[in-house]
Amino acid sequence: MTDTNRERRRTRETAFYLFTQQSLPACKPVLTPGWVITIFLCMGLIFIPVGLVTLRASHSVVEIVDRYDIECVPEPFRIDKISYIQDDSIPKNCSRFMKVHKYMKAPIYIYYQLDNYYQNHRRYVKSRSDKQLLHGRKYHDTSSCQPVELNDGQPIVPCGLIAWSLFNDSFTFIRERAELKVNRKNIAWKSDRDHKFGKSVRPFNFQNGTLIGGGKLNPKIPLSDQEDLIVWMRTSALPSFRKLYGRIEEDLDADDVIVVNLINNYNTYSFGGKKKLVLSTSNWLGGKNDFLGHACVVIGSSSLILAIVFTLLHLKYRRPYGDTSYLPWNRKSLSG
Amino acid sequence: MSGWEPGSSSLKTPSRTVTLGRVQPQTPALRTIFCNDRDSNFAHRYKGNSISTTKYNIFTFLPKGLYEQFRRVANLYFLMVSILSATPYSPVNPVTNMVPFSLVLLFSLIKEAFEDWQRFQNDNSINNTPVDVLQAQGWETLQWKKLQVGDIIRVKQDGFFPADILLLASTNADGVCYIETANLDGETNLKIRKALEKTWDYLTPEKACEFKGEVQCEQPNNSLYTFTGNLVIDNQTLPLSPNQILLRGCSLKNTDFIVGAVIFTGHETKVMMNSMNVPSKRSTLERKLDKLILALFSTLFSMCLIGAMSSGIFIDRKYFYLGLGETVEDQFNPSRRFMVIILTMLTLLTLYSTLIPISLYVSIETIKFVQSSQFINKDLNMYHAETNTPASARTSNLNEELGQVEYIFSDKTGTLTRNLMEFFKCSIGGEIYGTGMTEIERGIAERKGIKVQEVQTSTGSVREKGFNFDDVRLMRGAWRNEPNHDACKEFFRCLAICHTVLPEGDMSPEKIKYQAASPDEAALVLAAKNFGFFFYRRTPTTIYVRESHVERMGKIQDVSYEILNVLEFNSTRKRQSVVCRHPDGRLVLYCKGADTVIYERLGSGNDDLNKVTRDHLEQFGSAGLRTLCLAYRDLASDLYESWNEKFIKAKSSLRDREKRLDEVAELIEKELILIGATAIEDKLQDGVPSCIQTLSRAGIKIWVLTGDKMETAINIAYACNLLNNEMKQFIISSETDAIREVEERGDQAEIALFIKEEVKNQLKQCLDEAPQYFCSPSGPKLGLVIDGKCLMYALDPSLRVMLLTLSLNCASVVCCRVSPLQKAQVTSLVKKGARKITLSIGDGANDVSMIQAAHIGIGISGLEGMQAVMASDFAIAQFRFLEDLLLVHGRWAYIRLCKVVMYFFYKNLAFTLTQFWFTFNTGFSGQRFYDDWFQSLYNVIFTALPVVFVGLFDKDISPSLSKKYPELYKEGVRNMFFKWSVVVVWAFFAVYHSLVFFYFISASSSTCRDRSGKMFGLWDVSTMAFTCVVVTINLRLLMMCNSITKWHCISVGGSILVWFVFIFLYSAIMTPLDRNDNMYWVIYILMGTSYFYVTLLLVPVAALLVDFLYLSVQRWFFPYDYQIVQEIHKDDIHSTGTSDLLELKQQLTPDEARSYEISKLPKEVSKHTGFAFDSPGYESFFASQFSKYVPPKAWDVARRASMRSKATPK
Repeated sequence: MTDTNRERRRTRETAFYLFTQQSLPACKPVLTPGWVITIFLCMGLIFIPVGLVTLRASHSVVEIVDRYDIECVPEPFRIDKISYIQDDSIPKNCSRFMKVHKYMKAPIYIYYQLDNYYQNHRRYVKSRSDKQLLHGRKYHDTSSCQPVELNDGQPIVPCGLIAWSLFNDSFTFIRERAELKVNRKNIAWKSDRDHKFGKSVRPFNFQNGTLIGGGKLNPKIPLSDQEDLIVWMRTSALPSFRKLYGRIEEDLDADDVIVVNLINNYNTYSFGGKKKLVLSTSNWLGGKNDFLGHACVVIGSSSLILAIVFTLLHLKYRRPYGDTSYLPWNRKSLSG
Repeated sequence: MSGWEPGSSSLKTPSRTVTLGRVQPQTPALRTIFCNDRDSNFAHRYKGNSISTTKYNIFTFLPKGLYEQFRRVANLYFLMVSILSATPYSPVNPVTNMVPFSLVLLFSLIKEAFEDWQRFQNDNSINNTPVDVLQAQGWETLQWKKLQVGDIIRVKQDGFFPADILLLASTNADGVCYIETANLDGETNLKIRKALEKTWDYLTPEKACEFKGEVQCEQPNNSLYTFTGNLVIDNQTLPLSPNQILLRGCSLKNTDFIVGAVIFTGHETKVMMNSMNVPSKRSTLERKLDKLILALFSTLFSMCLIGAMSSGIFIDRKYFYLGLGETVEDQFNPSRRFMVIILTMLTLLTLYSTLIPISLYVSIETIKFVQSSQFINKDLNMYHAETNTPASARTSNLNEELGQVEYIFSDKTGTLTRNLMEFFKCSIGGEIYGTGMTEIERGIAERKGIKVQEVQTSTGSVREKGFNFDDVRLMRGAWRNEPNHDACKEFFRCLAICHTVLPEGDMSPEKIKYQAASPDEAALVLAAKNFGFFFYRRTPTTIYVRESHVERMGKIQDVSYEILNVLEFNSTRKRQSVVCRHPDGRLVLYCKGADTVIYERLGSGNDDLNKVTRDHLEQFGSAGLRTLCLAYRDLASDLYESWNEKFIKAKSSLRDREKRLDEVAELIEKELILIGATAIEDKLQDGVPSCIQTLSRAGIKIWVLTGDKMETAINIAYACNLLNNEMKQFIISSETDAIREVEERGDQAEIALFIKEEVKNQLKQCLDEAPQYFCSPSGPKLGLVIDGKCLMYALDPSLRVMLLTLSLNCASVVCCRVSPLQKAQVTSLVKKGARKITLSIGDGANDVSMIQAAHIGIGISGLEGMQAVMASDFAIAQFRFLEDLLLVHGRWAYIRLCKVVMYFFYKNLAFTLTQFWFTFNTGFSGQRFYDDWFQSLYNVIFTALPVVFVGLFDKDISPSLSKKYPELYKEGVRNMFFKWSVVVVWAFFAVYHSLVFFYFISASSSTCRDRSGKMFGLWDVSTMAFTCVVVTINLRLLMMCNSITKWHCISVGGSILVWFVFIFLYSAIMTPLDRNDNMYWVIYILMGTSYFYVTLLLVPVAALLVDFLYLSVQRWFFPYDYQIVQEIHKDDIHSTGTSDLLELKQQLTPDEARSYEISKLPKEVSKHTGFAFDSPGYESFFASQFSKYVPPKAWDVARRASMRSKATPK
């Protein structure tokens, strides 16, 4: 027992001694040409395959994108789209045709995409009350919801700009005269549904004011089941973003034509935003995005090229490593 | 040359002047103290005896401590940001922004409080020390702090004096007591204090109660060596001198107890009045760091300005979803764009505050503290086993400055040389005795190509410390057979009598120890002993010498010489005399002193002897020996009596006593008869020549500044490799015939004018000549030798530029005969004129001004007094340790600090720029990209520790290689690692990395989703980005390490791990208080996707691959010198590593460990003493002569005193 104690003390002392004498055991990597070339080579060998795999994954995703914000405004109103979209008396129905160019395996995800929409604006991001979303009208301090906090002295549930500007275009899909079933359940993150939005909180006094920003909510359904709202309220990182609308749970064959009947309610015209409808399959990596794959391939191949360049350099102009004549004071004495 | 002013700029404040040795007039001029009468003294309201050296008390700590903290611009900035973040304009939560700031503040405040607490404890223990005070017929034990002016107290043996007291009575005979003044000046020899005869009896409490004296004395002042006052007792006025004063901080030795009256108390004691704070020095690197921070600030402001302007342009009512109605707040009101810009500016300032590295200063301080306290102080390579002295860094501010030194100013005595004086040779009656050969002579001989044969020491020759003399003609009584045996006798007598040495210990020749004010004196008395004139006892009036019988060999007789007067040594007089009465009634004045002074006072006749002796003196001088002339004079009794009256009068004068004493001494020290001369060898320190050679290979120029004669100085310079025959030497000397001629005429104004002209001509001539040497690379190096007198004129503003130009081109410069003030002037000439980093090293009181003037002051510890050490920034025991201190510690500290600073710069810039790019994508609204806690913990947790380890452990090459290739040091001198170009490179990488972080992640995440098609939101993306930032920034650190210990790996891995642990907890826990809805479950969602892993692999590599490319290309094509050395020794690195290890294991023997432990204890009495021929008043003497202020001596005596009293048990 004492022996081990002494041993331990001794080790500790030795360690402290090594510390104060600055001679802790250390590995001292020196970037020799061999290392440089090896590391570049390794990077190339790792990243090119990774890149190719990701690219392949990205290519296997079938994606149909249809921008409809302009087309869906009838010809006469195109000069003044804003008044068109703000005029409730004009029906906003619109039909679009989407051609499937490749076999799409279910589930097929339906996204709407907005561009130039600053959901990450500071004023917008903070204009919500998380506690109200969870506790409902019991929670009174909703000052963060300014300017959409109260209406006629009554609190608004859900309050805040985000909820107020809820996206409210709706889509139905018809293939060969039969309506495609769209599953709109389970489109929001489970963690959001279960923990952020109250199961007994129902919309109240919502969109009753003079200014109406976006979609309305069914006051009978609790917030935790209002999945469109939940999706919308997970604010996006960039001014161009996609949000999940629903899933088509049937395979689509190549050359199928899908008729989309949509109601074009949402105003993106005043600030020049685009609206797009996206149908996309999915795979292990996510959606169609060549960026990762390209980046990996570029990095991998440039590493390979650098490895080759350095090898050639090394063969042709061999830099004598550790050559004392490189030291300036030696150089001087040579010249002198 | 702008900014260079005469003298040192810090010397300008008159309040800092200390004129030790001279009394400053005070108003009112006198203080009257009624001894033993508290009521009468009460009216004067003298200060109490309790002292306080703390900076704060309980109430002032917070305001004062915070004030100190907010004097730093960075802290002030963060205070502003914290306040801003509490406003609605802030994009971040105020609490999270204040946390890192308060952590940093708290850290600093705790440090302050801890230090102050220690000071308080110290004060407390001192204030509560008991002392015996006379109260109502008896001694009563009171605490020091209760002591009052006028009290009669009793101090026992080995006790410390609680205040400045007047010695009344002592248990020793004749009212004598012995004191040790080590706390005041570091001198450990005992000093005698003697009470006035009138008060000898007041020893018992009964007697002491009757004592009713009145002391009239000067007001409290800081002059340690003067005291003027009178004691009025029984209507008699008795003069008081420093001889009756016992100063606080000293201790009583060899005396049972003394009784004294308190004169000055508490902060009015001389020791306390001398304690002042050393002005703290800042390193050059830190000053440059300020510039970098300033650059960061301007970057910050331009970033904010860009963002704010754009936000003013962006904001528009068309974004209806932003709810920008008529009543919108100012920050988003499109109708008031100017306000939008201003307020967004504030928002962005808060948002980008991470650009300023908040923890940089704390990290640097921690690193430096460990570097100095653990590495420098505990380096065994700088531990001097003989004197048991480790190196000690007295400040941790200047570690990296040590890596950039370009000029070293060195004192000679005690620094280059050992200050171990050995009686080596002598010249008696025109005959040289002594067969030894000095190292310098040997060096000269070797250079001349003469082979030196080892001198055979005659058998049985006496060798002891301080006596290295061998000559059969003198030893063992053989001198009686010499033709000039009478001169020999007188010579030995003079050695045995004319001194102020105290014998200690047993009165046998073998065991006796001499306590001397200077080692020269001890050596001389020792020599007398070895020649058969054994001085063994001293009383205040008598010196006892055991002489070998003059006629008969082997017979000894005890002779007592009555000492009538002692005319003490000081640097003006440069001599010392004793008037004594031989037992046969013969009155003799013995005198010893500098050759110039003695020769002036020699009587006529004997010219042959004088001339021969002068030749001998020059011969000794050129051999590097220290010489003294001995002379005597027989006095007629009537002549003596009349002189003695004048002497006594001068001695009791209140004003200008010293000056009058000097004048009186002048009257009798004339018509002397020369006996001979002594030559004492001043040995070189170990390893000095090789160390100097190494340092000069490192590109450091070494200047020797010494008070010695030119010949001695040049020879020491030769012996140290500073000068050699291949060099072109310029010598500017005032010892030319022309100058001497003018001097003889005696007209001061003419002399000054002439010398100035002469110096100017010489300088011009040298400057004309110099370019032809230093322009050709193969030409000889240049050396300059200049003496003090010429230097005085050369330092004149009109000639200063010439002097500087010339001396900067010289490889070495030797200044001899320079005063302490000139040492400081030369130092600041180079420091301010040439803007180079200077280092001064010295050991004595005369080096203090030079040590304080230089960027770095180094004191030699372990030998002489503590003054130099107390004023220094680093203390080492030997000159040769400079090699380790500069080439190893300094170089490392510099490289490490540069790395730390650069890394901090990089990591904050890269991090903040990510945020900046995000701002462009949020309509310039100032939305934060990262969660509050990410942002605030980024600096203090996720990236804090690894960089500290780099600051501590990074090692490019081993210490032995640093010393083997001293040229590597030049990289530091040229400031290779902290140039703007380096900053630009790092800035480039920071920008590049931030672009990769932001755009790679935003581009790749735009369509990213999990398997059920759900898209990522803002917080998912930012968490992904932050993960990549933490991983990349930490890995980048590993790439810049030259050596990677397990601590690097642990801290880097740990930091990344801590981030993951943090985010796991943070995104899983939702407390009712602070609901983190944004971050809830984010990391689990992210980690459920394969996107996370691909990105985490891609982004760091994409960022770091460019760095790697840069590093490879840099090393391949533009390698640093140290990288080549690394490569040369790439293969033996590991082997040396293990051999180091073995060596270390061996070194850690129990003995070693014990002696090392001991070395860490407070130092006990050292063996060494002060320097007699360099009295403490030396400095002020020169100062008053040149009417210049002298910087205060920073003897932190008070603190030292308290340290000592704490270490010694009661």
